[in-house]
Amino acid sequence: MEFSSHKKRKTKPQSLIVDIFIWIFLIGFATIILAPLVFMFTASLMPSSDVMRLPYPWIPKTFYWQNFWQAIRGNDGSFIYIRNIMNSIIVATTVTVSTVLLAAFTGYGLAKFPFKGRKIIFLLIMTTMMIPFEAIMIPLYLIVTSFNWQDSYAGLIVPFLTNAFGVFLMRQYLITFPDEIIDAARIDGASEFSIFWRIIMPNSLPAVATLAILTFRSQWDNLLWPLLIVQSEEMKTIPLYIIKFSSEKYTNEGAMMAVAVIASLPMFIMFFTLSKHFLSGSTLFSSRKG
Amino acid sequence: MPRKQKRSHRGIERKKAIWGWIFVSPSLLFFSIFSFYPIANAFYTSLFKKDLLSLRPPKFVGLKQYTYLLSSPTFWNSMKATFVFTMGTFVPLVVFSMVFAAFIMSRKRFQKFFQMAYYSPAVLSSVVAAAIWLLILDPRGLANQFLNFIMNTPGIDHKWLATVGMVRFSTILVYFWKYVGYFTIIFIAGMASIPRNFHEAARIDGASSWQIFWHITFPLIKPTTLLVSIVAMIQCLKTFSTQYLFVQSGAPRSPIDVITLNIYFTAIRDHRIGRASAMSIILFGIMLFFTWLQLRVSRSEEVSYM
Repeated sequence: MEFSSHKKRKTKPQSLIVDIFIWIFLIGFATIILAPLVFMFTASLMPSSDVMRLPYPWIPKTFYWQNFWQAIRGNDGSFIYIRNIMNSIIVATTVTVSTVLLAAFTGYGLAKFPFKGRKIIFLLIMTTMMIPFEAIMIPLYLIVTSFNWQDSYAGLIVPFLTNAFGVFLMRQYLITFPDEIIDAARIDGASEFSIFWRIIMPNSLPAVATLAILTFRSQWDNLLWPLLIVQSEEMKTIPLYIIKFSSEKYTNEGAMMAVAVIASLPMFIMFFTLSKHFLSGSTLFSSRKG
Repeated sequence: MPRKQKRSHRGIERKKAIWGWIFVSPSLLFFSIFSFYPIANAFYTSLFKKDLLSLRPPKFVGLKQYTYLLSSPTFWNSMKATFVFTMGTFVPLVVFSMVFAAFIMSRKRFQKFFQMAYYSPAVLSSVVAAAIWLLILDPRGLANQFLNFIMNTPGIDHKWLATVGMVRFSTILVYFWKYVGYFTIIFIAGMASIPRNFHEAARIDGASSWQIFWHITFPLIKPTTLLVSIVAMIQCLKTFSTQYLFVQSGAPRSPIDVITLNIYFTAIRDHRIGRASAMSIILFGIMLFFTWLQLRVSRSEEVSYM
């Protein structure tokens, strides 16, 4: 007791200043980092004249909902944004479901079934992790055009049906899964597919959730690939709509931010409800298990 | 072991092997078509003079595309733009995310709040991030207001999207803003894995917070630091969206003509597939090197706390 109070008295004066400095530093940077986000949300509710006013009025006087109307309506009144949002949802959802299923499928095969060449196959799949998308996008583009898939869902979806990182993740996760449970199910007469579906999948929820978030986000964010293969307005995805909207002449700034808010909403809702998975997803590659 | 049992055991092994192949083959087929074949094809195409729309058969030119690129000022400009962007982004990213993480970890309260606040830009898609900043960096926008307020220079336009230096700086700013929270979280995970009693022991020995950070935390998170550096670098080498949106909105292209942007324009706008492929292969080579480095580092990542 005495010892601890002695220690406190000794370190308090100097560390109080440090303490206050750290608080100011953290709060200051939090403010700077959050400011552009606050700007996006507030500007989406202001007429353009207010968005570019000096100094910026951080609180909208009245909620100017017309921006959202114009964002959806488009500068030409075609309402194509709704279609583009649907495209993004279709592509991101399909890719997420198939990536999770195929990665779990393959990860399970690699983790629990000893067979000749398993190591080599695992190694091969790992090497594809080293091939950056940017290096193969031109040949991919040629493949997709040779299938006549440009400007189609197939073209947007098929090249991303699974990915090596997902396989890696699922294998690492499943390798520690107890063999006894699988064997018990086999003895009970369960087929291999039903073991996968009824036992492996439900028990991999943490890994599946993380992989699903990462995949959905990367597709929601994908600009380069749709930019290559989509020509028609109907097949554009959200990032392409943003590019088009922001580079048109009569764009007003408030509506531009409304477009951005709509595009970000699903990710923000996911972030606030599943923040645990978001944060753990970021730390995945620094996890120590090899 | 009786023979019958042995045979049935071998039967199970065989069955398992077959099922292993069944589970593995869909992905294997996929990777063959959409990863292995394209990379081989990229290399093959890079040896040809091939035009996207031309009906003439591609002409074999050997390594000419590469020698052309190596003597092309536009290509070197791209290398320079990529280099400037990568170095300018990843150094502050690593330094700041480490400091943020150390400070957040030193707090007893609001840790979760700060983590989420710093991370939140990473949730946005990169095009949205670029679109927000496009308005902030507008001559009438917040960036000028903020800078003029700090430097007390009312009414000056700092030309964020116009001059060579500033437009480069602007892309770096966007990227830094978007990713700093992401790496902060990774550092926090690294720091959280250091056993608590290390700090307590040091504190009892009378070490100050700074000494504890410098002599205990910092050396122990060295693997995380290395890993974050390489990952951030690979990430920066792939940058595309910010530069593309800025160029589309009227910023000059050449200062921010990073290699991905150049590949895109060469292939899609100039229809030079062979040359774009050669650039892709060069980019692949550079990134392969860093990925190899990352694997080596993460293998030796195991820190011993003995």
